[in-house]
Amino acid sequence: MPDARWHVSSAVVSVAQGAMGAVREGLTALEGVELHGGDDTRLVITIEGTSTGELGDRLTEINLMQGVLVANMVFEHAEETEEDR
Amino acid sequence: MTVELNRRQLLKAHAAALAASAAGLSQEALAQPVPGGVEALKINWSKAPCRFCGTGCGVMVGVKEGKVVATHGDMQHEVNRGLNCVKGYFLSKIMYGEDRLTTPLMRKTNGAFDKNGDFEPVSWDEAFDVMAERAKAVLAEKGPEGIGMFGSGQWTVMEGYAASKLMRAGFRSNNLDPNARHCMASAAAAFMRTFGIDEPMGCYDDFEHADAFVLWGSNMAEMHPILWTRLADRRLGTPGVKCAVLSTFTHRSMDLADIPIVFKPGTDLAILNYIANHIIQTGRVNEDFVARHTTFMKGQTDIGYGLRPDDPQELAARGAGNAGMMEPTDFESFKAHVADYTLDYVSDLTGVEPGFLEELAEIYADPDKKVMSLWTMGFNQHVRGVWANQLVYNIHLLTGKISEPGNSPFSLTGQPSACGTAREVGTFSHRLPADMVVTNPDHVRHAEELWGVPHGLLNTKPGFHAVQQDRMLKDGVLNFYWVQVNNNLQAAPNSKNETYEGYRNPDNMIVVSDAYPTVTAMAADIVLPAAMWVEKEGVYGNAERRTHAWHQLVDAPGESKSDLWQLAEFSKRFTTDELWPEEILAANPAFRGKTIFDVVFANGEVDKYPLSEMREEYRNHEAEDFGFYIQKGLFEEYAAFGRGHGHDLAPYDTYQSDEVRGLRWPVVDGQETKWRFREGHDPYVSPGQDVDFYGRPDGRAVILSVPYEPPAESPDDEFDMWLVTGRVLEHWHSGSMTMRVPELYKAFPGAKVFMNAIDARERGLNQGVEVRVISRRGEIRSRVETRGRNRMPPGVIFVPWFDASQLINTVTLDATDPISKQTDYKKCAVRLEVV
Repeated sequence: MPDARWHVSSAVVSVAQGAMGAVREGLTALEGVELHGGDDTRLVITIEGTSTGELGDRLTEINLMQGVLVANMVFEHAEETEEDR
Repeated sequence: MTVELNRRQLLKAHAAALAASAAGLSQEALAQPVPGGVEALKINWSKAPCRFCGTGCGVMVGVKEGKVVATHGDMQHEVNRGLNCVKGYFLSKIMYGEDRLTTPLMRKTNGAFDKNGDFEPVSWDEAFDVMAERAKAVLAEKGPEGIGMFGSGQWTVMEGYAASKLMRAGFRSNNLDPNARHCMASAAAAFMRTFGIDEPMGCYDDFEHADAFVLWGSNMAEMHPILWTRLADRRLGTPGVKCAVLSTFTHRSMDLADIPIVFKPGTDLAILNYIANHIIQTGRVNEDFVARHTTFMKGQTDIGYGLRPDDPQELAARGAGNAGMMEPTDFESFKAHVADYTLDYVSDLTGVEPGFLEELAEIYADPDKKVMSLWTMGFNQHVRGVWANQLVYNIHLLTGKISEPGNSPFSLTGQPSACGTAREVGTFSHRLPADMVVTNPDHVRHAEELWGVPHGLLNTKPGFHAVQQDRMLKDGVLNFYWVQVNNNLQAAPNSKNETYEGYRNPDNMIVVSDAYPTVTAMAADIVLPAAMWVEKEGVYGNAERRTHAWHQLVDAPGESKSDLWQLAEFSKRFTTDELWPEEILAANPAFRGKTIFDVVFANGEVDKYPLSEMREEYRNHEAEDFGFYIQKGLFEEYAAFGRGHGHDLAPYDTYQSDEVRGLRWPVVDGQETKWRFREGHDPYVSPGQDVDFYGRPDGRAVILSVPYEPPAESPDDEFDMWLVTGRVLEHWHSGSMTMRVPELYKAFPGAKVFMNAIDARERGLNQGVEVRVISRRGEIRSRVETRGRNRMPPGVIFVPWFDASQLINTVTLDATDPISKQTDYKKCAVRLEVV
């Protein structure tokens, strides 16, 4: 079942002082993660993936990254890929 | 293909726009604008509070074709303002675990109930009939004390109220306790002893007003990420704002700490007394506030550890028989008492650098700094948890830093309705709604009037608290036991010697209602499949006194039914003639021959709202089955307890309207209350009073003299390390929901032993090696983790308790705070051995 779904989620990432550069770099390197903007201490990202496992791993991984104070999800959408076709 | 790509780009842009909006960023901060709306996706959106912790975030739940397909943080909800933590992210999936229970199960042999038989699917009627037969036999033999129920701060308000009323007014038993006893009983007891009324005076708005934050035994970064975000935003966005974090080990919340303090387990009591001493010695007592609004008391000492009464430690404790006693004293004796807690003594006792202690004390002493103190299990799961709570109130009261924006001693909670259900409804073994107790004849009479039952019906003897229930099951005193919405075999302390023995005692029938086959359900005799979260209509109350509600949004799978339905349906199998004493029936003949359902639910109050008052667009299985709007009836009857008594709730329909995202009680004339006890904020404080702690007859809050006393068990030569248990970011409590989300399971599949690298080297233990964690009670096998998010000081290990394959509570000690009866899960002695 998980592989038949497509997910997109967005999250706000709070970043420790002095760590913005490293965190931006770290996030960009993650598969399925896209940076959409932010300010001095926060970043807006989206995470998408073809399996639920991939997506869950990403968000947890981001939460535990060096320099990340907390990453909170805002929106999440999941759907069966078949229903679009 | 192109259509799908466009659609996905649209969804992605929509997701990013919502995130930017939630963070308060302008749309220009985004790389891409949003190309139109997403209305075309045909998803029905409704509000609901999150199912997990006590923060009480709001989510919007998207339903399509009968299934939850999407969720997002609710932008209109003041608590989280559109954000959701990593657990909230997975809300939509907790209902769809593959091993969801869908039919009642009973242990049987040759077609008949048998405690030693195997589980077989049965009908609801068969399950209830067997339960009722056993309950009646126990009641006939032992009376109301032979039956018991263990509930939860995850019950909805109406479910907890129904359980309390059914147990007390139907079965005449006070053997009802919530798992919240393990979670915040110490906090509740301290509120009652200090202010005479439960729950925080402040609210989450304090996060945006405070100049300093002090975390006492709370890892908010992992356990309350949304509140942590509000704290971090204030700390990072406002120059001069400071953050102190106190713990027995270094965890994620220390990343933001200006003052990181790792102290020896149990010595936080000494730090608190030192701060009081520092405030007095440096002349920073707010004398006017103290003179007008406080009173000094001295507490009983040497109060024992809540172990079984024949334990040598209990026999030796001189104050154990009267642990809750407080005697009047005065400022001078308080001053003399804390004078012993000098910087040198406390630094030596706690192992904390004197410089850090002084910096911490200055945060409180500085009259120009607004301070928010925050705590959870580090304080509450403590053999002196009530004292710890009261000692933090001491320092807020001495300085007058209380009940105003930013000055806020704040007890956080772990469950979504620990406040709303366990505390406000009063599902504890000694409580009634609205802070009333079963031992007060006036309170009991008032409850009997509101419930419309005969005077003299209610039992005035407090029932068994959580740990005592397990002991009484083991001892064969309690013989019929129903567990709802919790996993106590995994959560209870010393579980192999007490809880499990009690469940498998051949004299006992154990019934467990749950959505999943938890270890508790698997150790039961009858398992009832439960509807969860948005599969039913409900109300929760969060840690800032916010009452918020939701509708049923999807159907529960198979034959699953809500706890409310289960309680009400079960009550139909009993009559007053069977359960009530003859003299009460003789004096009140109108009650003869009635079913308990008639008395508790169809009593003219609970059943007075017809189905036509329900919202047309939402289904409601309970109301449809019983023929009246049962949730509204229960809520309104319950609300009558608190209206006009400082616990005012708004009308039910207000909470269920689309516009309202919860209101903080007391709600008077439609207005919520953000700061209690303060003139101008709290309608119960009369003009000119400034501050009125009206929960107590004298209007004064209590400043308490109590000493540092050591934990129940400390490391020695044989068991040479401290064991601390707790949670991790990915899993909530026992993991019965989060362990069923594949992503969360994969992220943190098995518990580990977090330990100090030097400790590990000295014991010849390598990273990842399998070890036995052994105490005087039992042992588990786990693997050593010397790196990772928790960095341990020498002599202390941390093991999370979510993992059912590593039941760390077979190792823990069933010592409780003698006043609150809450277990100390943070301090016992263990040793490690290589497997």
